[in-house]
Amino acid sequence: MTPGKHSRLEDQRFITGQGRYISDVNLPKQTYAYFLRSDRPHAEIRSINAKAALARPGVLAVLTGEDAIAAGFKPMPIFLMVKGRGGAELIKPPRPALAQGKVRFVGDQVALIIAESPAAAQDAAEYVEIDYRDLPPSTTPAAAIKPGAAQIWDIAPNNLLFDYEMGDAEKVEAAFKAAAKVARINLHNTRVVANPMEPRACIATFDNAQDKYTFYSVTQGIGGLRMQLSAAMGVPEEKIDVVAWDVGGGFGVRFNAYPEYMALLMAAKKLGRPVKWVASRTETLLADENSRGVDSTSEVAFDAHGKILATRFSFLCDIGAYCVPVGAFINTGGIFGQLTSVYDIPVSYARSRLAVTNTAPIGAYRGAGRPLMSYAMERVMDEGARITGIDRIEIRRRNLVPTNKFPYKAYHGKVWDSGDFVGLLDHAVKASDWHGFAARKADSTKQGKLRGLGIACYIEETGGGFAPHDEVELRFGSNGELAMYAVSHNHGQGHETAFAEIIAKVMGIARESIVLKNGAPESPRLVGNATGGSRTLHGAGSVMFQGAKEIVEKGKELAAQELEVAAADVEFADGAYRIKGTDRKITMRDLIDKHKGKANHPLNVKTKLTIGSTYPNGCHIVEVEVEPATGVTEIVKYSATDDIGNIINHQMVEGQLHGGIVQGVGQIFGEHAQYDAETGQPLTGTFMDYYMPRSNALKGMQLFDHPVPTKSNPLGAKGAGEAGNTGSLPALMGAIVDALRSAGVEHFEMPATPARVWGALQAAKAGKPAAFAPAQA
Amino acid sequence: MAKVAMKVNGKQMSGDVEDRTLLVDFIRDTLALTGTHIGCDTSQCGACTIQLNGRAVKSCTMLAAQAEGADIMTIEGLAQGDKLHPVQQAFTECHALQCGFCTPGMIMASVGLLKDTPKPTDEEIYHGLEGNLCRCTGYINIVKAVKRASQLMAG
Repeated sequence: MTPGKHSRLEDQRFITGQGRYISDVNLPKQTYAYFLRSDRPHAEIRSINAKAALARPGVLAVLTGEDAIAAGFKPMPIFLMVKGRGGAELIKPPRPALAQGKVRFVGDQVALIIAESPAAAQDAAEYVEIDYRDLPPSTTPAAAIKPGAAQIWDIAPNNLLFDYEMGDAEKVEAAFKAAAKVARINLHNTRVVANPMEPRACIATFDNAQDKYTFYSVTQGIGGLRMQLSAAMGVPEEKIDVVAWDVGGGFGVRFNAYPEYMALLMAAKKLGRPVKWVASRTETLLADENSRGVDSTSEVAFDAHGKILATRFSFLCDIGAYCVPVGAFINTGGIFGQLTSVYDIPVSYARSRLAVTNTAPIGAYRGAGRPLMSYAMERVMDEGARITGIDRIEIRRRNLVPTNKFPYKAYHGKVWDSGDFVGLLDHAVKASDWHGFAARKADSTKQGKLRGLGIACYIEETGGGFAPHDEVELRFGSNGELAMYAVSHNHGQGHETAFAEIIAKVMGIARESIVLKNGAPESPRLVGNATGGSRTLHGAGSVMFQGAKEIVEKGKELAAQELEVAAADVEFADGAYRIKGTDRKITMRDLIDKHKGKANHPLNVKTKLTIGSTYPNGCHIVEVEVEPATGVTEIVKYSATDDIGNIINHQMVEGQLHGGIVQGVGQIFGEHAQYDAETGQPLTGTFMDYYMPRSNALKGMQLFDHPVPTKSNPLGAKGAGEAGNTGSLPALMGAIVDALRSAGVEHFEMPATPARVWGALQAAKAGKPAAFAPAQA
Repeated sequence: MAKVAMKVNGKQMSGDVEDRTLLVDFIRDTLALTGTHIGCDTSQCGACTIQLNGRAVKSCTMLAAQAEGADIMTIEGLAQGDKLHPVQQAFTECHALQCGFCTPGMIMASVGLLKDTPKPTDEEIYHGLEGNLCRCTGYINIVKAVKRASQLMAG
């Protein structure tokens, strides 16, 4: 058997064990790294004594923060374009390669041990003596900003880094005063860990003769990683090569450079030998960027007819012990880009405060802020339905941006260029048989089960990109094969297939003859965005489309020479150039092959486009059934209708939606990175403690396309990577709350583990319907 | 250090290992069969699943020394030349993989599952794959692929 014509081009190597992940690769004379990490959440480092460790067999070096200072390293960069309330700048705590003076979370890297084997390095770590003076920890933003909490950073009074606002507080206050009804809800969005299945892995090398670093790494895009390393190491970008091959998942947490990377590069230079590091899962849980961890308040003012007069939101965001490069962005612009969501809202005000805590730093994860907004908005819409007595569908329909209002300029200045929110809602309601729910609930009740129905309408602003444009290069190899180069790195999305299919369709050549060659050392240095923010297909993909069209145009002249006519007499269709009005032709394939082997193939192109955000949106409807005796909750039906514009590869889009939705299922039903509030110790340091969704996570899934193509990019596509997650969180939780409310529970927070669901039902039975507080944050 | 010997993908293999060396490390580091992956430290994720004496086993759960004399098949030995195993075929047909990291273990676990249960129900698939984590696909297409493989194997 051979793969079918719809199989992804990259699949063959993965299903036969021929993928090339960093941990699979070894370089000559390679050494091995192990990071000794802080075992306490907040402490002053009084001294580090590595003598005994250095004497262990096979140990080559032990590096600490002092070495990073001596290397002249700078703090890791932090990106934020906006100012806070009153024009205040973000306070940027300097994050070093290795801890200097203080440790600030369990997992903070204190020393780097290099040895001749991984085991020797790990063994030696036990011989490094560190004298700490413990300081009191804060594990939640609420605790960290309380008066009297220990200062985590001298430069951040009250442990606050940034206080950001958007909108008009006074007008909103006036609207609330005039409101017929006000819906209000406090929510906690739990801290989770992205957990790509491949833990971080890298090899750092330094070439003395060329004075140049090469860094083999997991990454979502080599350009951004190189830029961040360059900024933090104070080394020009030309002196750093980043090489990447197969990457085992990213979800946002392979976007940024990590401080460990600089420490490894420093060690490679010092030792003059390659240094390899492969992280454990515990290191993933403790020291990868964590995600979410936000307390919020949502308020909506309604008039007497259920029309929204104003909204007001407040977010208190956990930044962790350090602010990672995108940490401030995702908790400000990342949330507020969707301030008014799918609704026609005249005025709004929102505030976001970013607090440091003694926990792993918070970064981007599937949605990067957008699921926080959809969750805050849709949960309060349900509350609005409850207090006004208007049906949950109807209250949404009354407030959705009407289809004839596109392009729609939202209150906060964003322009939703295209959409059919009402059409999506109507479709989803029908597809889910919303109105047949009462009968299904009656059946469940007969069986002693609680049944709940949840709905969420969402929109998200996909990444506008950090780079000024996306650039791609298309080069024909000696065998006529077309090599594609871009910055955006494949880590599961299927770039190799999607890009090839875009180009194959334009040029009329076999997709198998088009190969993505990202991340190789010989790759041209291009400007462009990493994979992230759901933007690769409409970003780099659009440039691939344009590049293919440029090749076709360039080929006209060459084809005309072959056909011995003027270029004006040649037309291109179905993979061939023809003399107009005749059947004399030369195929694109033949034209490419005629020139193959030339040092610079005449059809090679390098091109670029600036492509901004797109606005995918949708309506997700979920039904759950709760077994009250055990608290076990099952999803019995999940219907999602999404507008992600034109679709290039349907199977891959579905795969993206499945993945995003099930990451939502994971968060709602159990994922929760927890710290003990008193000791600051992490409680979820392995997969034995950290819940991960398994193969039974989601049953009864139905996906529907409702495309409204966008004109903002040549493909008409909207981002699909994160939409599933943005829709799933509020829809799932809405269904659970609906089921529990029928048993008297008034308030319930994620995660809906059996123990917590059962506990909430017991509390309600005992006459304390609101007693079931948020999970330990 | 001790010498261990076993049959791997039909060939007799041997190597010197420390007593504490896990089977997965022997397969990856000594035999350079890197298709078998390591995704966790606690035998939860199943990325290292192989066939040992005809059973699906997580190769991080045993020492290399415990596999002395065993007959092992890794992902690299599953296809026969260019001919994919039906489970491999079904995984690519059904888009049951994205980043590919969990895939070898997921495929080897599915081979084991189908050996015990040639025509599995959804519930039997959930149970059979309980020990394997995937972060990309949401498992929906993996479950489809196992069913498709079952059809392919039935001919």
